[in-house]
Amino acid sequence: MRFIVCVKEVPESIDVKFDLKNNKIQDESISTTLNPFDQFILEEALKLKKDEDEIIAISIGTPQTKKVLMKCLALGADKAILLSDNVFIGSDTFATAYTLSKVINKIGDFDIIFCGQQTVDGNTAQVGPELAAQLKIPQVTYVESIDKFEGKKLLVKSQTDDGFKIVESQIPVLLTGIPPSSFTPSLPPLRNIIAAQNKPCIIWNFENLGGPRDKYGSVGSLIQITKVYYPPPREKGIMIVEEPITAVEKLIELLTKDKVI
Amino acid sequence: MELKFTEEQEMFRESVREYCQRKITPVALEMEKTREISIEIKKGMAELGLLGCTASPEYGGSGLDAVSAGVIGEELARADPTGSIPVFYLVQAAWGFVLNKYGTEEAKKEVFPKVIAGEYFLGIATTESDAGSDVGGTRTMIKKEGDGYIVNGEKMYISGVREAAEGGGGHLTIAKQNPELGTRGMTMFYLPLTADGITPTYIDDLGREGISCGGFAIDNVKIPKYYILGEENKGFYIVHEGYEFARGLIAVICAAAGLKSLENGMNYIKERKCFGTAIGKFEEINFRLAEHYTRLNMLRDLAYKSLWTIDREQQGKGSRFETSKAIAMAKMFASDWACNAINDVMQWQGAFGYSKECPDQAAWRAIRSFALAEGSKEMMKMIVARELLGKEFIAYK
Repeated sequence: MRFIVCVKEVPESIDVKFDLKNNKIQDESISTTLNPFDQFILEEALKLKKDEDEIIAISIGTPQTKKVLMKCLALGADKAILLSDNVFIGSDTFATAYTLSKVINKIGDFDIIFCGQQTVDGNTAQVGPELAAQLKIPQVTYVESIDKFEGKKLLVKSQTDDGFKIVESQIPVLLTGIPPSSFTPSLPPLRNIIAAQNKPCIIWNFENLGGPRDKYGSVGSLIQITKVYYPPPREKGIMIVEEPITAVEKLIELLTKDKVI
Repeated sequence: MELKFTEEQEMFRESVREYCQRKITPVALEMEKTREISIEIKKGMAELGLLGCTASPEYGGSGLDAVSAGVIGEELARADPTGSIPVFYLVQAAWGFVLNKYGTEEAKKEVFPKVIAGEYFLGIATTESDAGSDVGGTRTMIKKEGDGYIVNGEKMYISGVREAAEGGGGHLTIAKQNPELGTRGMTMFYLPLTADGITPTYIDDLGREGISCGGFAIDNVKIPKYYILGEENKGFYIVHEGYEFARGLIAVICAAAGLKSLENGMNYIKERKCFGTAIGKFEEINFRLAEHYTRLNMLRDLAYKSLWTIDREQQGKGSRFETSKAIAMAKMFASDWACNAINDVMQWQGAFGYSKECPDQAAWRAIRSFALAEGSKEMMKMIVARELLGKEFIAYK
């Protein structure tokens, strides 16, 4: 079996600074990590993995993104592929899914594609479903656990608005995962971190993937970010320091004046 | 020149930091009362591969170099203000390095798997009532008898006595085999504290409550030949390699504990108001912060450089003396500088800083020990002066 896990490097904290001139996050201001949704689904893949199976982690990013792929290798993935090229810059979810589909087609046969349900920075939850559409394979989203995997069939538990459902699917399939509240990400032990340094981590660029250039990056995107800005600061509030009855009267007066009531 | 950690070291740091945040920091101050490191923490450290991490992979270790071992020590020191876990770690990392380098195959196969699994404690026992940094003053004796050796004497102020005596394991120990040869007649060996003839005693230390301190009487204890480290009569030289590894780790740990305390202090002085203004605005406080921060970062750099000299020496690119000097320079002021910073942080926090609820008081008590442990600061000055002026300027010769 070959499992492919798509992962993303995301900011470690929500306290990020924006490059307002270039409409993007100020890269140098942040420390980054593996998207927690992706780590969860990687760990689900690892639970299914038998000795003869192969897990390939793939990611799109800068050379620095290699660090999250190295973490995937330390957690148990066998091989990693980093897609890094200026051509990929500015990709929206559609172009990202296209790029991922190109690399997956280049890899060849696969059985299950694993994606995090969403990333903690973009929060779109679109890349997985769009990738399944590009690859023309079925998908199950909001997967909380893989309960059974026998032969070519798997049973997964998928979250819904008011509970969960059990879905049976054939392979190949794409799963997007969302961790249950009980999930605690594993920490790679030192010996696995050391072993990861000897696992293959390949860097591919646009030339390696081929295809029309205008399908990639901002050119191939359906969405363009036109402006990045900080929300306006909250206006100063009004403090009413009076006896309770007077304070309530003043509050009613102010709310009436502003036509709130 | 490139001053940066390797990708692998950064991954070690990330993994250990996350573990510490989850499992160590939330319960660290409990060790002041429980006076032990919980089994859960020992097990967690073992699973991550932190115990005996300098042992070679063939014995189950990760074969870490000194700088990498420092990265782990730094994270543990940030996480545990009582200093108990950093000591538990550093002793086993440093003396694991010595056992790995000088131990026999048989001893390594016997001891390392259990140390790495967190079942055994591997310590160091050189200090005696009348011989601390002056190892040459050792009175414990070892002599050959039949196929093995007999040891007699007493060790004192030793970390991890209870851990090894009750849980299993032992201490790398030094004794005189040929007293007439002075320091050239000393032999180093592994001494299991569960052996017949060992009687432990315990001492209440000022800090580091989670790891025991004590001594043990050694009464006609028999050890097999394969417990000898390196060659007979070469113990004095071997022991210094372990000291240096430990001293380098201590310097990193002091810097980390001091910097962590400054972070606590910064959070406090930004919020705490006096005369209607944040006390962090007062120069009496923020100038001190700037000085401590600068000094502790100098220490951190020097400490990592000293560990790097150990790695260079192991690769055959540096000399013994170069390492000794770099390590002594790093450790010389490590405890003083960190304690001074922590003491100021306690002061900034007023009465809370003096309460047992404040983690910084625990850090101060722990870090104070390192002005003495593994070689006093006075001894560090002596080493640096010796390397600068030559052996003929050693005062006691």
